Amino acid sequence: MSAVDRWGDNPFFVLDLPVTATRAEVERAGQKWLGMLEVGMSRAAIYTTPLGVRARTPELVRAAMAELRDPERRIGHELWHLEHEPPSTLDAEDDADAEGPEPEPAALRILGWSRP
Amino acid sequence: MTGRPLYVGIDLGTTNSAVAVFDGETTQVIRNAQGSTLTPSVVRIDGKGRVTVGAAARRFLERDPENTRSEFKRLMGTERALPFAASGRSLRPPELAAAVLGALRADVLDQVGLLPDAAVISVPALFELPQSAATSEAAKLAGFGKVELLPEPIASALAAGWTAEQGDGRWLVYDLGGGTFDVSLLETDGGFLRVVGHDGDNFLGGRDFDWAIVDWALAEIAREHGVTIRRDDPTHGAAIAQLKHAAEDAKVGLSRAGQVVLTLAAPLEIPGAAPFDPELALDRAVLEGLISPLVDRSLDVCRRLLQEHGTSADQLARIVFVGGPTVTPMLRERVGHTLGAAVAEGLDPMTLVAQGAAIHAASTALDGRPAGPLVRRGARLWLQFPAVCTDLSPHVIGRVVDAGQGPMPSNVRLVRGDGGFTSEVATLDDDRAFVAAVELVARHANVFEIVAEDAAGVRVAVDPPSVTIVQGMTIGDPPLSRSIGVALVSDHVQVYFERGTPLPARRSFTHATVESVARGAAEAVLKIPIVQGEHDRAHLCRLVGTLEIPGHAIGKTLPAGSDIELTIELDRGGRMSAKALVPALDQMFEHVAHLLVPAADPEVLAASLAALRQRVDDLRAEAFRRGMPHIIGALEHAEHDLGDVSRDLGAATGGNDDAGQRARRTLLEIDAALDEVEQSKQWPELEQRVVRTLTWAGGQVGHLGTERERALFEDVAKAIDRARAERNVRELQRQLRLANQLGETAWYRDPDTWPALFDEASSRVDAASDLPRAQALVREGKAARARDDGAELRRITEKLWRLLPHDPTARRASYDSGVR
Ligand SMILES: Nc1ncnc2c1ncn2[C@@H]1O[C@H](COP(=O)(O)OP(=O)(O)O)[C@@H](O)[C@H]1O
Ligand SMILES: [Mg+2]
Repeated sequence: MSAVDRWGDNPFFVLDLPVTATRAEVERAGQKWLGMLEVGMSRAAIYTTPLGVRARTPELVRAAMAELRDPERRIGHELWHLEHEPPSTLDAEDDADAEGPEPEPAALRILGWSRP
Repeated sequence: MTGRPLYVGIDLGTTNSAVAVFDGETTQVIRNAQGSTLTPSVVRIDGKGRVTVGAAARRFLERDPENTRSEFKRLMGTERALPFAASGRSLRPPELAAAVLGALRADVLDQVGLLPDAAVISVPALFELPQSAATSEAAKLAGFGKVELLPEPIASALAAGWTAEQGDGRWLVYDLGGGTFDVSLLETDGGFLRVVGHDGDNFLGGRDFDWAIVDWALAEIAREHGVTIRRDDPTHGAAIAQLKHAAEDAKVGLSRAGQVVLTLAAPLEIPGAAPFDPELALDRAVLEGLISPLVDRSLDVCRRLLQEHGTSADQLARIVFVGGPTVTPMLRERVGHTLGAAVAEGLDPMTLVAQGAAIHAASTALDGRPAGPLVRRGARLWLQFPAVCTDLSPHVIGRVVDAGQGPMPSNVRLVRGDGGFTSEVATLDDDRAFVAAVELVARHANVFEIVAEDAAGVRVAVDPPSVTIVQGMTIGDPPLSRSIGVALVSDHVQVYFERGTPLPARRSFTHATVESVARGAAEAVLKIPIVQGEHDRAHLCRLVGTLEIPGHAIGKTLPAGSDIELTIELDRGGRMSAKALVPALDQMFEHVAHLLVPAADPEVLAASLAALRQRVDDLRAEAFRRGMPHIIGALEHAEHDLGDVSRDLGAATGGNDDAGQRARRTLLEIDAALDEVEQSKQWPELEQRVVRTLTWAGGQVGHLGTERERALFEDVAKAIDRARAERNVRELQRQLRLANQLGETAWYRDPDTWPALFDEASSRVDAASDLPRAQALVREGKAARARDDGAELRRITEKLWRLLPHDPTARRASYDSGVR
């Protein structure tokens, strides 16, 4: 899965929820979207991300709910979501990512590697 | 449809089955004609072709074994048909299961007055796809129009949670049945139930208690009467069956009394000995001695599960016991005491699963009432709402699908039956649809009247006129019990769905064919094996289906290296379907062959047993020679399991098919365990690989990776440290693979990478499956390099890889896979 997909499929986008949503709000939103999709309401069929409009499907909604039910996995999505800057595509990522100072990954330091 | 909904749940057990109904508020366990809530899963067909099911059939189990069949649930998913001698009929496992389901369905009609059309049927958590498919087939044969399958532990948990007082925390469902053991770790959090994980043993149950008693009895008989009776001697079959029955009665008796005598219906008759009645006395102490190794085996599984999910004993709030053997007092005490948690009291271990299945039928809105005659009562609405819901403020969504002759509704509001709540007025949108939020009264069935008005504010009749939503505990989508993927030619597995994936699910990947398939060639067939299991070597996983692309069905010859876009889909019951789109042919293939558990052929099993014995001996010799005491323990374990296999094999040769299946599975498990031993033998080598991988991948990610890749790499490096500290070979390998992937992703960005890879591939071109095409690619590649066209060079190199040869041994092991 590309970084773009991973970011765009973020459960909080899919369910249209803030990262502060409670467990009950997650279930409520999921149930609502699934119902709307089932009866074929056109306004449920898409969702917006800073990268543009994407198609919302029942599979995506169910997967998003499952991800947010599991506390350990939810944390990961919260972090992804909080990185407000969307990832660039594979061909142009280096420019976008090179902006600003980067923390030096501990694993690399341990290995004695340092940035040029 | 009128009145209260009828949600039906069925526990289709190996030994006993039960059915319960739920009306939205309370569950009722249905009694059969004999007044019992349990119906033995036994089917008998007499000489006149009359079929009897349940207790009436069970009475004939020893007296007339040729015409009476039990424990067929264990054969679900196999091809094995069971003969009924007197009638000359022979029934497949789903047909036998259908007879039991049909009887339960009729019992519902007797007790409730309605013949249900839909039901939730529970299946063991570790059931594999073919077994689930057979269960669905059985339900259809029994006349159910709609059926959903639900893992048994989830059913038990739902039923236990439904009646329990609110209390958050983790708990275990310990389900020991006649032949299977399941343990699940669950968590309740604000009324939401979540399966944290489960584990189990498909071949551990009350039946093993019975056999332990039989073995004890055989030893006693040999000692006291000097008669040797053997389990694997077919001429002793009748005596063994009698003893087994007596052993079970004695075991059940000991759940109440302190001592019992094994009573036989008739004296034992053994060829070459006078008939005799051994009259053996058995007390609790002896029974406990006999079954404690089996209970310990179950406890090992529990501990493994708790450890896997980082749950210590003091974090465990309670244990729910399910299944007949858990009535045994010693078992309850021992399990409760060892795991250090309170035992939930007041739940019926025999019918909890059926009750939970009925509750689940409500959550998935699977109303079993047969469709009545169509009476139009107004504008027809298509409604979506949770029939059971934990959330106190869910949504009701609806759409007008047919206004008929009457006026079109323009807005809708929902009014709760107790008058305490009215929703906001929802206006119908361009799709003629609405969304309304409602408020529920906790732990009640909430009925909402749907009040619709037309544009002029005049009330419009709608159909249905109301909805019912029950507030209570619910559970999310059922999780997949074992990972599913495609076996590749290299004997690796492309995982499509990880264990725990919520169902339903669908996923697609693109594969490439490894050889060409000639159009019209009768014997040419490309195989895409679909496997299930947690191993990363395909041959260690269970083959659950093969999608075939045969030469006779293709429009033109399919060249090697062609794309195949494969989509695998699983429904909520774990039923699988697969589709392969071949763009080069513009054709779609959907036929999945052999969705069956392979037969357990005793000769084949004996050969694998001998091979594994040899392997254990070799490994042990090496371990002593090289001084590796840490692997001796694992080898002893394997040795012990090989002993079990050998015993099962004896029984299989004597005609016990089920023992054959068990032997087959144990062999697979031993094989996997020995693989791990071999790997741990290579621990020093693995340590070196860690250093190499981290240095290489870390360097690549550091120089060429994105910020996110660097962050991910840091996580992986931490996980590698953890796996190393825990000496967890499999996890370490998994993390190393991830690290390598990250490194490769970065490395592919290096402008020097592709020319090097291209050179390496070109050097092996003579071995390509399609030489002219490969040579053409090499020419194209050289041109691209001359032009400095990196992207094109990469494309060409990847194509070239597809034409390069694979290892034939790996391919054979990998179920003859024709894809990479
Ligand atoms: N009171 C009891 N004490 C001990 N074992 C029992 C008792 N009642 C039933 N059993 C055993 O329970 C097993 C059947 O359990 P059950 O939960 O009905 O199985 P399954 O789920 O396989 O249908 C049998 O081995 C039976 O001998
Ligand atoms: Mg059971």
